[in-house]
Amino acid sequence: MTGPRSWIARRLLLGAAQTAAVVLLVFALTEALPGDAAVALAGDQPDPERIAAIREAMDLDRPALERLADWTAGLARGDLGTSLASGRPVGTYIADGFGPTLLLAALTVALLVPTGVGLGVLAARHEGRFTDRLVSSLTLGVYAVPEFAFGVLLVTVLALRLGWVPPTAVGYGTDLLAHPAALVIPVLVLLSRPVCSLARLVRAGMIDALDSPYAAHARRYGVPGVRVRYGHALPNALAPATQQLARTVDWLLCGVIVVEALYVIPGLGTVLMNAVAERDVPVVQGLAVVFGVTTVVLNLGADLVARRFAPRTEAAA
Amino acid sequence: MDAVTAVAEIKNLRVEIDGRAIVDGVDLRVLPGTVTALVGASGSGKTTTGLALLGEYPAGALVSGDVRAPDGLVGYVPQHPAAVLNPARRVGALLRDVARAQVRHLPRRERRTALRERVLRALALARLPDAETMLRRYPHQLSGGQQQRVVLAQALLLGAEVVVADEPTTGQDPSTKRGIVEQFAALAREGIAVVLLSHDLDVVRALADEVLVMRDGHVVESAPPERLWRAPRHPWTAELLASGSGATRVEPVSEGATTLEVGPLTARHGRTAVLRLPGLTLHPGACLAVVGRSGSGKTTLGRCLAGLHRHHDGEVLLDGVPLPRSLRDRTRQQLAAVQYVFQDARAAFDEHRPVLHQVARTAVRLRGAAEPDALAEALTTLAALGLAEDLVRRRPGALSGGELQRAALARALLARPRVLICDEITSGLDTVTRKGILDTLAALVRDRGDLSLVLITHDPATAALAGRVVVLDAGEPVEEEAPARRVMTGA
Repeated sequence: MTGPRSWIARRLLLGAAQTAAVVLLVFALTEALPGDAAVALAGDQPDPERIAAIREAMDLDRPALERLADWTAGLARGDLGTSLASGRPVGTYIADGFGPTLLLAALTVALLVPTGVGLGVLAARHEGRFTDRLVSSLTLGVYAVPEFAFGVLLVTVLALRLGWVPPTAVGYGTDLLAHPAALVIPVLVLLSRPVCSLARLVRAGMIDALDSPYAAHARRYGVPGVRVRYGHALPNALAPATQQLARTVDWLLCGVIVVEALYVIPGLGTVLMNAVAERDVPVVQGLAVVFGVTTVVLNLGADLVARRFAPRTEAAA
Repeated sequence: MDAVTAVAEIKNLRVEIDGRAIVDGVDLRVLPGTVTALVGASGSGKTTTGLALLGEYPAGALVSGDVRAPDGLVGYVPQHPAAVLNPARRVGALLRDVARAQVRHLPRRERRTALRERVLRALALARLPDAETMLRRYPHQLSGGQQQRVVLAQALLLGAEVVVADEPTTGQDPSTKRGIVEQFAALAREGIAVVLLSHDLDVVRALADEVLVMRDGHVVESAPPERLWRAPRHPWTAELLASGSGATRVEPVSEGATTLEVGPLTARHGRTAVLRLPGLTLHPGACLAVVGRSGSGKTTLGRCLAGLHRHHDGEVLLDGVPLPRSLRDRTRQQLAAVQYVFQDARAAFDEHRPVLHQVARTAVRLRGAAEPDALAEALTTLAALGLAEDLVRRRPGALSGGELQRAALARALLARPRVLICDEITSGLDTVTRKGILDTLAALVRDRGDLSLVLITHDPATAALAGRVVVLDAGEPVEEEAPARRVMTGA
């Protein structure tokens, strides 16, 4: 048997390898795209000489492997490189974009967990009755709507018809906290599908747990219903939900491109879109590193939490 | 009437499901400080009667009759204690949950210490030493015996006047069994009434003050154990008691030939060596029992032979030809030659397909038989094992545990194996069913000449079938003799 510490170390090593693989893959894919930063910069009337000059100035004429090696060496020093398009350090791009993304993600998760778990527990308590059917069919229905469609619907109703909130965050820059009204629709759209999947997972887990022999045993020995529900059944129901939650948070932090594009929020998703359009390889690679690390750390965290809720399942790396 | 008043009483209980009575006309008086045992084959209504004391009935049951039991003061120790221990809560939390109701009358400040005192006292009564460590553990970190004692400690914390124990010794090795018997005897000395549901006749005889023999939902006879064993009045009781004795021993046909030979073998789980065996020979028509406590490596030995455990360095020769370590590398003939029957027959069948088709599949897969031939052969084999055609055309859910175990045997036999490994196939079965299975095995070896049996077991009655016994302790054979008397007595 190995302790949790060596397990975490193994998982982190594996995660580093996975991140490296992601970076290599992203580099290879951006190389494979037709055109490069020089072509993108040269504008609508590309003049071959001008492109070649830009290419030389940007060191793009050097072999791909050499550029990758340079970039990797910089990464070891904590330097993510400089943007090809603007010459600014990649670090500042990510720092600028991270603020709005983090704000959106934090708000969404803060609302997601209580709503999802609450709805799931509520439905499980009334299994097969009206409340359960209502929650189950609503969550299924909302889950089936793609977020861009739901987003457009919300903008039409809340912003354009009723005029309660602004339709997009255009003109507010990165300081979104000063304009909370602009966040209402994006957060609602981000919430819509995760709430449904989380509620359905918690509901299924709670029904199983409440039906289990250990819950029956606790009731038999006079343990109050509230305690059976939240102390005994819920931890068992939460283990699978934790993994789902980690995937949701991962999705939120790694740039929710559709929502950011729809509401013009200058988060990581927007940064990524622009970088790809400009063939700005260093920025794309920097984002790949950040996304890779986030994914690895979040999943490790989720496994640790799930281990706490369901200590029986020996975690496998 | 008796001078002592019964602490719980059942009068003329009838429990009916879908028009079929599973318990009918049962009377039961439970006296404080005594052990009342309900014995009988599986499906005789023992558990239904026991659970009636807890006020619990199967879903959709029609109940009539009179059940009087101290409200909320009946403890329950189920057959699988792990099932009632919440996997996500530490032992301490599980015990405090039960005790909390008992300290509610105290002022808030004193509750914490009172709670702790009660929990520690219950642990001591349930004979769980090293309370501090125990309280911090999760249920899965305890052994089966410890889990059972935690469930018992919960009943004690409840202040239970009656404890219903369902098959507490099933699947336990003899020395653990003795511990459990002492535990329940101590409980009765504390003045608690114990209702023991068991088909383990040795345990019943050692513990019970009063025995009720059940069959098909009726109590056919009730008497103190001495009287019952001396002079059973009902023929069914006599049959039940006789089933406790072992089956006829199987002696090998010839000592000369060798079916299976195992060289020096060390098997590992990860880095720990779990089995060290100097060697093993199996003759055609022989029956070898591998016995030992849980964790002694006996199942690992069986799995090494069958190719289910490949982390070992030994050589397994079948008719002088080495068998590949892993199942995946064995040819169909080699797979067919070594067959394995598992302890949990229900888990070994797909619940959605008829038993017959699953049994016949072996002949198709391993011997290349045509589907109709395979089905015909399966029907013959199943009939020879006492399973009728209309029964095996159903899905596994319609068969009892004993019937499924026979079907599992038939499935292995359809491969026409040279070696049949039976892993605890009789534990969890009642004595009558067990006797039937053992007689079947003995007849098989007799009739099939070249078939050799490996019986993995901790049940002395099962081991008695074998001509030779290997006793494993902590992964090493401590003795190999014929017959092993020490195991029979459980020493």
